[in-house]
Amino acid sequence: MSQDKAAIFDQLALIFQDTFIENSCTFSIDTTRDDVEEWDSLSHIRLLTAIEAGFGIQFDLDEIGNMTDVATIVDLLHEKLK
Amino acid sequence: MHDLPWLLKPADDFNERCAQLADSLSPVDEVLALANAALSVNQSNRLYRALQKLSAETRAVLSGTLTPFRLGIASNGTMDLMIPSMVTAAIRNGIDLEVITADFGQVAQEAFDPVSKLNQSHLDAVLLALDYRAYPIFAGEFSSSNEKSLSNEALGYLQQIRESFTNYGGMICITQTLACPPYELSGNFDAQLDGMLRRALSEFNFALTEDVRTCADVMLDIAALANMVGVNQWFDERQWYMSRVPMANTFIPLYTEYLTKLIAALRGKSKKCLVLDLDNTLWGGVIGDDGLEGIQVGQGHPVGEAFLAVQQWVKALKDLGIIITICSKNEKNIALEAFNKHSGMLLEEDDIAVFIANWNDKASNIRQIAEILNIGLDAMVFVDDNPAEREIIRTMIPEISVPELPKDPSQFLRILCAARYFEKIDFTDDDAQRSAQYKSNLRRQEMLQTTPNLTEYLASLEMHIRFVPFDEMGRKRIVQLINKTNQFNLTTRRYTEADVLEFEKSDHFVTLQVHLQDKFGDNGMVCVVICKVYDDHWEIDTWLMSCRVIKRRVEEAVCDEIVALARSYGINKLRGFYRPTEKNKLVKEHYHKLGFELINSSDSEEVWELLTDRYHMKNPPLNIEKSSLIR
Repeated sequence: MSQDKAAIFDQLALIFQDTFIENSCTFSIDTTRDDVEEWDSLSHIRLLTAIEAGFGIQFDLDEIGNMTDVATIVDLLHEKLK
Repeated sequence: MHDLPWLLKPADDFNERCAQLADSLSPVDEVLALANAALSVNQSNRLYRALQKLSAETRAVLSGTLTPFRLGIASNGTMDLMIPSMVTAAIRNGIDLEVITADFGQVAQEAFDPVSKLNQSHLDAVLLALDYRAYPIFAGEFSSSNEKSLSNEALGYLQQIRESFTNYGGMICITQTLACPPYELSGNFDAQLDGMLRRALSEFNFALTEDVRTCADVMLDIAALANMVGVNQWFDERQWYMSRVPMANTFIPLYTEYLTKLIAALRGKSKKCLVLDLDNTLWGGVIGDDGLEGIQVGQGHPVGEAFLAVQQWVKALKDLGIIITICSKNEKNIALEAFNKHSGMLLEEDDIAVFIANWNDKASNIRQIAEILNIGLDAMVFVDDNPAEREIIRTMIPEISVPELPKDPSQFLRILCAARYFEKIDFTDDDAQRSAQYKSNLRRQEMLQTTPNLTEYLASLEMHIRFVPFDEMGRKRIVQLINKTNQFNLTTRRYTEADVLEFEKSDHFVTLQVHLQDKFGDNGMVCVVICKVYDDHWEIDTWLMSCRVIKRRVEEAVCDEIVALARSYGINKLRGFYRPTEKNKLVKEHYHKLGFELINSSDSEEVWELLTDRYHMKNPPLNIEKSSLIR
């Protein structure tokens, strides 16, 4: 993971912890939607809103559906923040 | 405004405190404190989950502290995401909200089926969270002939839904005006051509507003809300296409805050009194230091105009029936000089019901104002530019509302307005006269201090009392009193306008509205009584009085009237009930004092009985306008 991406991941991890309450599981770059029981369609919307507000960006419609794991989100953010 | 800038930001340890809520020493106070902040959707969700882990006992105490309200939701969108925000915003506004949702998209089915989930849920109200996409008829043919109005069809559809919920479910409807999405076809002409969405929505919103003005349903003005934040921000197509969320998520906290403010207003929980600081709040500068000429207020000076705008807001609130008071650290005569001599001042000394300027701590002064006016601290809003004073008052008086203000006075007005402390659902003659009434009340109190004998004092008030059964003219005020009276209220039963109409028309009820006048002015309607009629006795279902007229033996005159009425109907037995709440300890001994006997008592209710033939008329020193009610 590049330095940029590591910084993005750190900030993203905080947003994950804020969105998901039973956050005994620590989020890693390998975490996927299947690993997090709370990650349902409603909390996905909350997650999305928190990421957009936290990073000051907006995802495209087709990107939102693909955001099913941490690595993809980090890549997307890295792309958008360039 | 999406981040509710009049509220404090949540504490840094918000997440930890939510996690430890169940173990907190005073969990109810902790819930109130945590809810009283500008919570994001995630934070609301966190607090909402923590609430669900509280013990049943704690939940019960919390419910007792708040006012319960059962809200159904029927929507053409996804509202589930908003429920945690609704519940926490409701707590912030004094309401214990229970939300019952219909299945997605089932608006018409829920309305028209008498045994649907919402119609069977004994709701206080149903929120019709419909946006323009709920009305497919808005896609119509274009025409300049004025022949056919799209808005009429949409309104007709909504009307049927509202009537069905009211008839089958017995609840009122909270209807929404429609925000207009930013999709123009022909620019300015969109407002002029029949068949255009913008024209249809304007017509719809106007007609709906006209309709709601005259019925028991209330309106959540989404068009105004979207207008305030901007429709380009309000609508988020991605969220609609993906998951049918009707507006951008960022506005959920604002939407739920305004919804629950409206519900709180339905329950009489809107604020009644504004407590204002002076220096740098009503004018720029410090009058004690800068002198009369040195303070900035009035036309012709940018800072002066900013403060003038705040004063215009205060003056308008006074005309709406809000009580205006001053609490300032100043020499009183110097502070008053500004009101009486400064040409830029809009507010006059006469606008102020209680004027306190001294060097005591503000918390004590505010408590004194509450006592003088005989209102609850939770009905007050304290406005002060000084963050330290705000912090002290929040700590000393947690019940009071204290808006955050930015440094720049030009921004005060929009934040104070957006906070919607004074949400109204109607405007009665009493509202228009409130300021004068409180002024008279203060003069009465001053007289009480100089008149040692209470009976003489009461006689000197030259009170005239008038008894009338419920009627159309009094209906709005009756509903208002039923839903906002907390202290002098024996049973605290809340009723809607539809219920009150039923009491008015039905033979199974005998009703009284009581009007009181004295030499200082007209107090308006001060008391409401509802008796339920049985073959051999009457039950006093509701007896409440305005706190303005406490200790004036009005209740004795009312009791005399009830007994006289009962006798004229050949009824020998009256039954009264006392249902204790946090706020009605004042009337615990009410029936005892009037000569009723306690026949049954439990934690939730005392039952009192009076045999009318053994009752001695109290004949207090009031002139009774002989009622035509007695048969």
